[in-house]
Amino acid sequence: MTTSRTARRILAATSLAALTAGALPASPALAADAGVTQERLLNADKEEGNWIHHHKNFAGHRYSTLTQINKGNVKTLKVAWTMHLGGIEGGGIWSHGGLEGTPIVENGMMYVTDGWGSVYKIDTRGGEGKLIWKMDPKTDREWAGAVACCGVNNRGVALWGDLVVSHTLDGRLIATNKETGQVAWQRQVADPDKGETITGAPLIVKGMAISGVGGAEYGIRGWIAATDLKTEKEVWRTHTIPGKGEPGYETWKGPNNAAVSGGGSTWVTGTYDPDTDTIVWGVGNPGPDWDNAYRPGDNLYTDSTLALDATTGKIKWHFQHTPNDPYDYDSVSENLLVDVGGRKLAIEADRNGFGYAVDRTTGQFVWATPFVKKVTWTKGINPDTGKPFEYDPTKDVQRYIPSATPSAENKNADFCPGNMGGKNWPPTAYNPNLQYWYIPVIESCNRVTHEAMTTASLKPREFFTGGGPSQPFRITGSVTAIDVKTGKVAGKHETQFPLLGGMLATPDLVFTGEPSGGVMALDAKSLDKLWEFRTGGGVNAPPMTFTVDGKQYLAILVGLGGAWDKWFIDSTPELKNIQTGSMLYVFAL
Amino acid sequence: MRKLLLPALLAGLLASPAWAQGARTGGGEGDLAVFKKACSGCHKWHGGGGGGYGGEALSLRKTQLDKEQVAEVVRCGRPGTGMPYHLRGAYDTVKCYDSLKADMGSSMPPETAVFLRPPEIDAVATYVVTQLKGKGEPTLEECTTFFGATSRACDIYRKKEGSDAPTASH
Repeated sequence: MTTSRTARRILAATSLAALTAGALPASPALAADAGVTQERLLNADKEEGNWIHHHKNFAGHRYSTLTQINKGNVKTLKVAWTMHLGGIEGGGIWSHGGLEGTPIVENGMMYVTDGWGSVYKIDTRGGEGKLIWKMDPKTDREWAGAVACCGVNNRGVALWGDLVVSHTLDGRLIATNKETGQVAWQRQVADPDKGETITGAPLIVKGMAISGVGGAEYGIRGWIAATDLKTEKEVWRTHTIPGKGEPGYETWKGPNNAAVSGGGSTWVTGTYDPDTDTIVWGVGNPGPDWDNAYRPGDNLYTDSTLALDATTGKIKWHFQHTPNDPYDYDSVSENLLVDVGGRKLAIEADRNGFGYAVDRTTGQFVWATPFVKKVTWTKGINPDTGKPFEYDPTKDVQRYIPSATPSAENKNADFCPGNMGGKNWPPTAYNPNLQYWYIPVIESCNRVTHEAMTTASLKPREFFTGGGPSQPFRITGSVTAIDVKTGKVAGKHETQFPLLGGMLATPDLVFTGEPSGGVMALDAKSLDKLWEFRTGGGVNAPPMTFTVDGKQYLAILVGLGGAWDKWFIDSTPELKNIQTGSMLYVFAL
Repeated sequence: MRKLLLPALLAGLLASPAWAQGARTGGGEGDLAVFKKACSGCHKWHGGGGGGYGGEALSLRKTQLDKEQVAEVVRCGRPGTGMPYHLRGAYDTVKCYDSLKADMGSSMPPETAVFLRPPEIDAVATYVVTQLKGKGEPTLEECTTFFGATSRACDIYRKKEGSDAPTASH
């Protein structure tokens, strides 16, 4: 490791000498406040022009109070500058990498990643973008790309002290010196030999980097891990599938010892409630995805929201959405922490098509509402229990609505939403004034062919899914707003294609992008489209906004990424025309 | 007329150098590069198939088809399943299984994301019948042929073959 680290340092230093030589020196004022602290992270919303959290604040709101760009003038928004990035190389089973990241901006300096985990520092001052440095982690593309179910993805960096903290698909946590772009240190957090990969941005809490893992399609046992950024050591690692003797272990029954390969990945960055020192994090599907008879029981804590003590990693409460899931209905989505009607809520838009609110101090169910147009796997969520009406706690294997459920008796099952959701990883946004929550929706159905699994089917680095999907139905999308005061849908703006990028909210606008290339602004209340720009590339990343030199900008990464073009394209044939690419777009009035 | 000729001409021009490159690993062993590009997502790097996000793909290691039959399935897909057709114009200007699109109804197979040219289809069918058909469990050698020797992608096979653990049966 030492050798490769040194090699990396040398590489970074030499390849960037030319760039840094020509760059402007940072002003003394900027250098002085370069360090990111817990205090600053707690008060991130007070740094109005900056965006220093993956989800903008600890509560995951992705809401900016900036108003220079507003309802009245957004139609004049145009491209200010662009920058071509890299990372489109293929690897493993993937023919190309793509962009899914959220740019981080601190005092005019922007940090973005490409799919293979290279970090770019860009000076945005002076109305243009200048690359200051690029840190290439030399990801082992074949090792990681062969066990990445859903694309060559990296969703961005976090900041701490003088470090830029990021992940790589091949399972490393990397701390890069913010000024020089040299790798300060790195550690292997996840193990691709076990089918583990990392795509999410780290969450920084009290000097710890919190990492989540992907791989529930490959028989992993999921976890959330905390690394001390000072000692470079692991502080805690909490498995999302209980071990023998731990509470919840009894929800894994049958002869297959299914808990050891139970899935429960955690690949979307969670949120943090400082009042109770609680990390709230979503947990993915159980494995094998579509053979729930292999794993009788509720399969905790898959498809659940988990609340962890940030200091120890201990589980405080959980709320499970789809017990003994036969559909691949992840609950990996971010939980937004909102205070509404005197209640402290955690709200999550689930792959299963329902938006949920739970009391974030207890995990108690508050409400659930469908945000997709069509749900066929259940007739609804029981308002008393928060469980699907068909859920039968006396049964070990749930069938929900049997005709829509893949099983040995129903080899080809059509269900809605399809296995991508509902809502996938692209983040929601929340306007605290309107108390509207904006969900980037995949309006979908698909077909799953069931395959009965045995313990012999479980092999390292091999798909362990219990069948697979096909796409006989056209899939569309929408921006759906939920009024969190009532828990009801307040509006829906339908789109030709599923929304695979994510949301940004400002006081009177919401922004999002489409996989067909459009970046658009909608009225925050009516959801009417007020502006659109065609980027000509696939938009698979969320927009963000910042100020530099006193001027507001909108930034978004554009580059065909994710799983859609490989696995789900038959449902959106027009998207076959979208080419690979890797580009940062920055807009201004 | 000119509009029609131009793409054909371009395709012809492009085809030769690209095919020459493909032919490097072509010949008697077929073309791994085409397999990688068009098949490995669903049939897996080793052709063993099984479930996954690409659907429930059949094992090419256990296939009973001969080369011409494999080529036909690549050209025309498998009706009623997720196996796409890979020949431009299949079921449209070229009949498949003696049928056109209108005859297929709901059993029409999906269209591939990237079409293959006839020589590529021939080369990948050769690859399937000479390199995959009839093979047992995947080996380290097969793994490094696919992923290269510089990656850690095949370490699990190295560990397996270097330890006391039962080795994969070949």
